[in-house]
Amino acid sequence: MLRRFAISCVMAALALGAGARTRPHYGGTLRVEIEGDPWQRPNGLARRLVLDGLTRVDADGTARPALAVDWKSENDDHRWQFRLRPGVHFQDGSPLTSVAVVASLNVICPANCPWTAIHAVGSSVIFTSDSPMPNLPALLAADEFLLPLTITSEGKTPEGVVGTGPFQVRGFTNGMLILAANDTCWQGRPFADAVEIHVHRSIHDQWLDLGVGRADVVEAPAEQIRQAQQQRLTVVASPPVTLLALTVTDSGALANPLLRAAIALAVDRGALYNVIFQKQGQITASLLPANLTGYAFLFPVERDLGKAQELRGGLTPPPLTLATEGGPVMQLAAQRIALNLHEAGFNVQVVNAGSTQHADLGLRRLPLECNQPQAALESMLRSVGLSAPPPEQSPVSLFNVEHNVLDRKTLIPLLYLPSAFAIGDRIRDFRLGPDGTPDLANASLEDAQ
Amino acid sequence: MNAVKQAGMIVALVIVLIMQTASAAPAASLWDKPAEDLAEQIASILGPGQAHLTIRNLSTISVDEIPAIRRLLEQDLKAHGVPAGGTESANSIRVTLSENLRERLWVAEVTEGSETHVAMVHVDPGTPQAPQASGGLMLRKQTVFTSKATVLALLEVASALIVVEPEEIVLYGKTSDGWREQRRVGIGQKRALARDPRGIIFPSSSGDGFEISIPGMACNGSNGPAQPIESWPIHCHESDDPWRITFVPVTQTENATATDMDVSVAPIKAFYSAGRNYFTGVITANLGVDLPPFYAAALYSRPSGTGLLVNAIDGKVLILDGAALKPVSGTRDWGSDFAVLQTRCGAGTQIIASGSGEAASDSLRAYELPALEAIPASAPLTMDGTVTAMWTAPDGKSLFAAVRTTTGNYEVDRVTALCN
Repeated sequence: MLRRFAISCVMAALALGAGARTRPHYGGTLRVEIEGDPWQRPNGLARRLVLDGLTRVDADGTARPALAVDWKSENDDHRWQFRLRPGVHFQDGSPLTSVAVVASLNVICPANCPWTAIHAVGSSVIFTSDSPMPNLPALLAADEFLLPLTITSEGKTPEGVVGTGPFQVRGFTNGMLILAANDTCWQGRPFADAVEIHVHRSIHDQWLDLGVGRADVVEAPAEQIRQAQQQRLTVVASPPVTLLALTVTDSGALANPLLRAAIALAVDRGALYNVIFQKQGQITASLLPANLTGYAFLFPVERDLGKAQELRGGLTPPPLTLATEGGPVMQLAAQRIALNLHEAGFNVQVVNAGSTQHADLGLRRLPLECNQPQAALESMLRSVGLSAPPPEQSPVSLFNVEHNVLDRKTLIPLLYLPSAFAIGDRIRDFRLGPDGTPDLANASLEDAQ
Repeated sequence: MNAVKQAGMIVALVIVLIMQTASAAPAASLWDKPAEDLAEQIASILGPGQAHLTIRNLSTISVDEIPAIRRLLEQDLKAHGVPAGGTESANSIRVTLSENLRERLWVAEVTEGSETHVAMVHVDPGTPQAPQASGGLMLRKQTVFTSKATVLALLEVASALIVVEPEEIVLYGKTSDGWREQRRVGIGQKRALARDPRGIIFPSSSGDGFEISIPGMACNGSNGPAQPIESWPIHCHESDDPWRITFVPVTQTENATATDMDVSVAPIKAFYSAGRNYFTGVITANLGVDLPPFYAAALYSRPSGTGLLVNAIDGKVLILDGAALKPVSGTRDWGSDFAVLQTRCGAGTQIIASGSGEAASDSLRAYELPALEAIPASAPLTMDGTVTAMWTAPDGKSLFAAVRTTTGNYEVDRVTALCN
């Protein structure tokens, strides 16, 4: 565990790019290749290049100003007022106003939001809620609350995605999303003139392109990091940002909490870590990674098959279904978990998530939306539909919320995985953000002038 | 067997925040307070009686320090009526030295019968920085200022600190507890900020004020000794005027000869490319030579005369020697920033350059330039992050380096040299 933590720290250091440097050069085009969709939520690559949030979270998890310059809470965190940064414009020239922000938030979060209502008052946005929102500033830094323009200053719906970020959409041709530098970005013009994102490229093709100099940044999935290193690719990995977890229904046969506890004890995290994910990331039984809390070791990760069988108590539950997202690695992991559960006396069938609506178990990847632990936990619980009082700022509160949620055995953490990219020789100052997405606005090209 | 999953578990969490500065005290004293606080909380859970204590270390604390921490905990527990016992003790205490992104965390799992209580104590990490030895001279650093905001430059005047941030000038007064913010003055920039922001601050030639240049803006203020910080007049206006880039320390001007004055005393100013992060190469007064765009420049005195050293944006370091611009070799390890230091060691004046990005962490190193090759004059001084700016202090005997740390915060270090 200590070794894994140390490795995480090294990865974090790499990701944060604390090394020496020469000043970055302006100009050039960054060529990026990805397997998925650049606009997918959460953390699609293009989202943070084009869009900004009201806040951002820095490397140590503190909420900092972004499109909002300051904020204050009232009424025991039931009401928050965020004052907008003056002089900011969307990439189409529309001014950033409180009305535009409220319209955007209403579109991107129509329900199940951390707030009950939002209002535009002058240059401020007011959030109110029936329950306290102690973590709202950090929550608003999450990918899901990045702000696209939803209505132009002329009252029209904008064409394409328009934001306030460092790059603006220029077009999509031949499987390539083209972004151009936003010269008037409130954070300053990015160093590169443009970013070309070649989408839906297989990892194999991405690595080939990187090898022959046709790409500057390509993906390295966690389970292939070791292979990338063996091929002598320069890999930049983030701290843990994705939780691989098993969701367990608390209805039907699994309404019995002892059966859910038996499932939690029967899963062999070590096998997933060693075999499927090639010893990348961290084995975990906590919802938040050790580097955010420091107390993750309080949650046991060991498999205890005997105890699992004892908890099952001779009951033979009906066959269970385990749904998983697509992708061969997730399928393999699901098959391995089904085997583990079979050894504990459960009969589990793996199905595609799309083929069934009511699976008993689900294998999911849950993103760590930010590195502010309280906000990250609140966001994660909301994403899986679990209710819990929002943790307050103290670690005591955080621990108690996490412990109480895990005690229900409806969400079983398995592994924390990093985000990783392989980069070419000409890219400089390549860093990953706290959510593992590349910060291409601050990257530059060695050969640019 | 982990106690957390036991039925009927009672969790008592005790948080104590302990703030200690990095410059404080020897390492052992860092652990006194947290050990005392943790022992007190453990004792309040257990009450008087023997307990078996185990310690494991999941943190970056050196294993050499664990015995000292154990001794402190045993001593403090005993003082609270909980002497350390063997494995036969009815109660057990497992202390885990852990850490997260922001701080160290000591967690005690206190098992009393079938119940387990958890106590936590937060410990702010603090490690004194030892000076680093070298061949010719030794560089050492002392952190003078830290901030969560971007620091472009600062100037120490009397008992005040003037800090230049991208959008504000912040004035700090000296107190017994260190620098305390007293006033913020908005710069009033209308254009978008640069992504690699830069700025400079110089004492004004009259000696009772200061001049600031940041992209597209210029500010000036006065800091008369009779005036409180709150009433210092500070004015900013839009400006594309050239920035002053060379600084001649007081000691040098006092002894300057008439010949020296031509090159080294009259300040050289350079036009800054406001939308980028470098100087255009156009300078005043005209030195008769076209300079390339550059990131940094400094006057460097040698027995053969004073030359203007520039760090071009293509990575080449050049020196204006007489009327000719000549390349300087031996600068492959240099980053984009350098400043000149008067040390009275070796040649008397050294160039302190940041690292080039080849190393894992940023560093500063002293060089001398007897001819056209930079010769290392010190070992590298490791910095706690990326050096984002450097400037010579008004006395010329020290320099300041702004450093962006791994946490994204900024610190400004005063760097001085000791002769070996």
